Amino acid sequence: MPTSQPLAHKDASLFKQVLKAYETKQYKKGLKTCEQILKKNPNHGETMAMKGLIINALGRTEEAFAIAKDAVKQDMRSHVVWHVYGLLYRSEKMYDKAIGAYKMALRFEPESAQILRDLALLQIQMRDYHGYIETRKTIMQQRPQLRQNWTALAIGHHLVGDYANAEKVLSKFEDTIQGNVHKWDFEHWETCLYKNRIIGESGDTERALEHLNSIAKNTLDKTALYETRAEYLLKLGRMEEAQKAYQLLLDRNPERRAYYAGLEKAMGIDPSNRKAAKPIYDEYAEKYERCDAARRIPLDFLEGDDFKAAADSYLRAKLNKGVPSTFANIKALYADPAKREIIFSLVNSYNEEQEKEEPAETNGDGPKASQFRIWTLYFLAQHYDHYRTRDMTKALEYLEKAIKLAPKTLELYMTEARVYKHAGDLQTAMEKMDTARKLDKSDRYINTKTAKYQLRNDRNDDAIATMGLFTRNDVNPNPLTDLIEMQCIWYLTESAESHFRQKQLGLTLKRYATLLKIFDDWAEDQFDFHSFSLRKGQIRAYVDMLKWEDSLRSHPFYTRAALGAIEAYIYLFDHPTTSGEPELDKLSEADRKKYLKKQKRDETKAKEAAAAKAAKEKEERNKNASASDDTVKKEDTDPLGVELAKTKTPLEEAKKWLDPLVKMSGDTNARVQLIAIEVERRRQKWLLALKALKKAKEIDPQAEGIWEATVRLRKDVSALPTDAPSLSTDSRTLFEEELLPLLAPTADLAALTTDYENTHSGSPAHLREAARVRKVLGLEGFEDALMKSVKVEKAGWKDGVEAVRVAREVGVEERKVKEVAGGRWGRVAAFK
Amino acid sequence: MDIRPLTPYDLPGIQNTNITNLPENYFLKYYLYHYASWPSLSFLAVDVATNKTVGYVLAKMEEEPSDGIPHGHITSLSVMRTHRRLGLAEKLMRQSQKAMVEAWGAKYVSLHVRVSNTAALRLYRDTLGFDVEKVEEKYYADGEDAYSMRRDLSFLIEPEEEEEEAEGKKKKKKAKKTKKEGDEQEEDVDIDGDEPEKLKTKEEGKLKTYKLGRQLGVSDLQEVDGRA
Repeated sequence: MPTSQPLAHKDASLFKQVLKAYETKQYKKGLKTCEQILKKNPNHGETMAMKGLIINALGRTEEAFAIAKDAVKQDMRSHVVWHVYGLLYRSEKMYDKAIGAYKMALRFEPESAQILRDLALLQIQMRDYHGYIETRKTIMQQRPQLRQNWTALAIGHHLVGDYANAEKVLSKFEDTIQGNVHKWDFEHWETCLYKNRIIGESGDTERALEHLNSIAKNTLDKTALYETRAEYLLKLGRMEEAQKAYQLLLDRNPERRAYYAGLEKAMGIDPSNRKAAKPIYDEYAEKYERCDAARRIPLDFLEGDDFKAAADSYLRAKLNKGVPSTFANIKALYADPAKREIIFSLVNSYNEEQEKEEPAETNGDGPKASQFRIWTLYFLAQHYDHYRTRDMTKALEYLEKAIKLAPKTLELYMTEARVYKHAGDLQTAMEKMDTARKLDKSDRYINTKTAKYQLRNDRNDDAIATMGLFTRNDVNPNPLTDLIEMQCIWYLTESAESHFRQKQLGLTLKRYATLLKIFDDWAEDQFDFHSFSLRKGQIRAYVDMLKWEDSLRSHPFYTRAALGAIEAYIYLFDHPTTSGEPELDKLSEADRKKYLKKQKRDETKAKEAAAAKAAKEKEERNKNASASDDTVKKEDTDPLGVELAKTKTPLEEAKKWLDPLVKMSGDTNARVQLIAIEVERRRQKWLLALKALKKAKEIDPQAEGIWEATVRLRKDVSALPTDAPSLSTDSRTLFEEELLPLLAPTADLAALTTDYENTHSGSPAHLREAARVRKVLGLEGFEDALMKSVKVEKAGWKDGVEAVRVAREVGVEERKVKEVAGGRWGRVAAFK
Repeated sequence: MDIRPLTPYDLPGIQNTNITNLPENYFLKYYLYHYASWPSLSFLAVDVATNKTVGYVLAKMEEEPSDGIPHGHITSLSVMRTHRRLGLAEKLMRQSQKAMVEAWGAKYVSLHVRVSNTAALRLYRDTLGFDVEKVEEKYYADGEDAYSMRRDLSFLIEPEEEEEEAEGKKKKKKAKKTKKEGDEQEEDVDIDGDEPEKLKTKEEGKLKTYKLGRQLGVSDLQEVDGRA
């Protein structure tokens, strides 16, 4: 034993009890036993370390670290002490430090399988592939009889792109089991497929196909087998075989778009003239009576009369069957005006036919309306609600007709609500959706929609009450807690956006903080799978999971939340406040008091709820005393986000969202770069701001906001003293030669702004931008530009709302904007 | 519509579809656990125009079947209300069941449904060929009973054949046959999901933690599986 402090026999057995108590989460008992040992051996490092570990599990992290530090001092050469130190760091997610501590532990106990395994987990979590390979090599050499030890090593090689070694390692183990494989040895056949993927990725498709064929007979995941084979054949240009391979796949799943695409390629269909592909689709449409894809895909490439005939039979079939999503299924075709016209005239003609057949007044005594009748009317209503062909009156007319015929059909009311939403009448929209909800209270979908519409109308209390009809109130008396636990991204995002509209910064930031944590948790979720997946043997899924985790924050859920959160922090920076609620400064004394009182009340209520929950959980735990689990949950001390809104460093908080956002979406999304400029400009990081500007221009030179960013940056930068930016020589060269020219340093900004406005004279967003730019430059005409943004044809009611906001910003009378906007969108409450 | 096997990139979308449609919800790790354990069994339906998930089937193999017979289990199945009557539930189920048989040797597939959810019951029984096996009392947290249903999968088991050229006709016939069962019923319902917390200890009264879904995730499964 490397420890310098051996215990007497009795104490050593007590120490074993401590370990057991910790493993079974009987922390109090463990702690007691620790104290017992320490009474006799007050400086026993390993016992101290265990004590620290237990105290950490009880939620007293700081104390735990202090004890562990002491423990290290007492017994520097004990692997236990270092291992515990590593575990503490790991529990705090300080993985680098944990890795360091484990390595120290291994110096004193190089053979410890447990520590090696723990180290490997951290290395893969941190994507330290080379470290992982080394650790895994040692583990494999210790226990070469275990397959997963070889597989893990191969994964390491694979992830650094060393295909040759990855394959070699897998083959070596295979050699040891020659011929002794059971038909249902999942791990074996999966590892074979994994090896095949490695060969494929190495680029040697020929050999990959050969290998795939050699394992084909016994491969269990048939879908993967056939898909991979088809891809290889296509890559190798063996078209006839590729055709067969894709046909086989389509017979298994005729709704998979990628298989049709593969088959088209294999048949040499020219992507710019896909008409020749029609027979392929006819074949599958005939073969599979209920197949949608084979009927829908040709509508994408057929034209003229061919299109008309195909669309006619497609639409009739769907409407006859009463498929509510018929319009959604063909909506994408509306981008093509000719197709849009054909579709409309077809459905319109169905309606006219039926109207002729129908007696003028049915009075409800006539025969029940057919599915076809109802869903045709529904389709037409959706047509008139579509943004390219919108006509609110007509949409409502068709819905009304349909509702008369089928008053219990929820979809009709849902669409009615939608029509009102599109008109900006959020109150009526919300009410209509609630009407639909009441028709089927057992349907969560409609319940969800209602809550969403309530949030859009900033009725936050109603929304949470609606959600509460379906959340697990037995587990969490507060519906929001349940939604957070179940990671209900959509609700949190909509709620944050609603609070921000109302400039309730505390609650806004609270929701965003919750969202940020959900993404952190998702990243953390992978940890357990580093060991779990190796045991399960589902290696391809594991490797795919690692890749997904690396790009987790490229998901649109993240992008939307990040843009919103950053905007809120920027707002906070621009409107500094001590109360945490910038809007408070504008209220009258009486209103402010009223608001603060309500806030206080809400806070007390929220805190009470949290305390009640903690108490209930404790009670639960005590009830299940046999499986005693002393884990403590930390209580939320800031349920309304008051503290969050008091942050002194809003921009640094914004950066937490921004950095992953730029990394994941910064190459494709100009908006991401534009918001980066806003943050960096305020942080006075000119180099970063200019780099972002450059990138934004590369992605989309016409994107709204680029001109404004250019003007503002030029203003900022030119105001700097000449020697101001403390840059290295390289950075200075980049700054001066590449980035500064982006700011059109010598151009006449006023003239360029006029040009800009003329170029984008039809775009409301660009016009608002022009108004702001004119203000920044002290030019005339900002009011004109702003008013124009509400008047242009393309403007919608949301542009009106935005214009009101900008009016406030640039000092135009809100009333003027509201007048015009209100004249155009009379149903919008914000213009009244 | 596109029906395809699950990838990890789809998990947030599936979680969103689930909590939009059904009262039984799970955190992401639980979906990840399904994916990491039985990646080929779960499928989703995607609206190709918007790239949004509109339906999914989340499935698993029973890890320690009490009857000793390998079988699959549908943890959750749902289709957005806006995309019903397209036969998505049936198509998703068919893909999943096929994979259960091929990749895991499943003999049958089971699921739970609320006794009050008559629409789902009809779908499972009349369209998807399930039979009620028994009633599980108070299966759901709110005290409601569940029908435990199952469907025999032997119709999907193919004689030891070379898949090579055998595609064509034989399968076509089979497809027709099952098509009839389905017919015009179609899903018109939320369908159903497993009770998240219920998978605890119960079975054999042993002292093993087997809580899935809510509070816990894979770390507790490790205790069941034992260390490598």
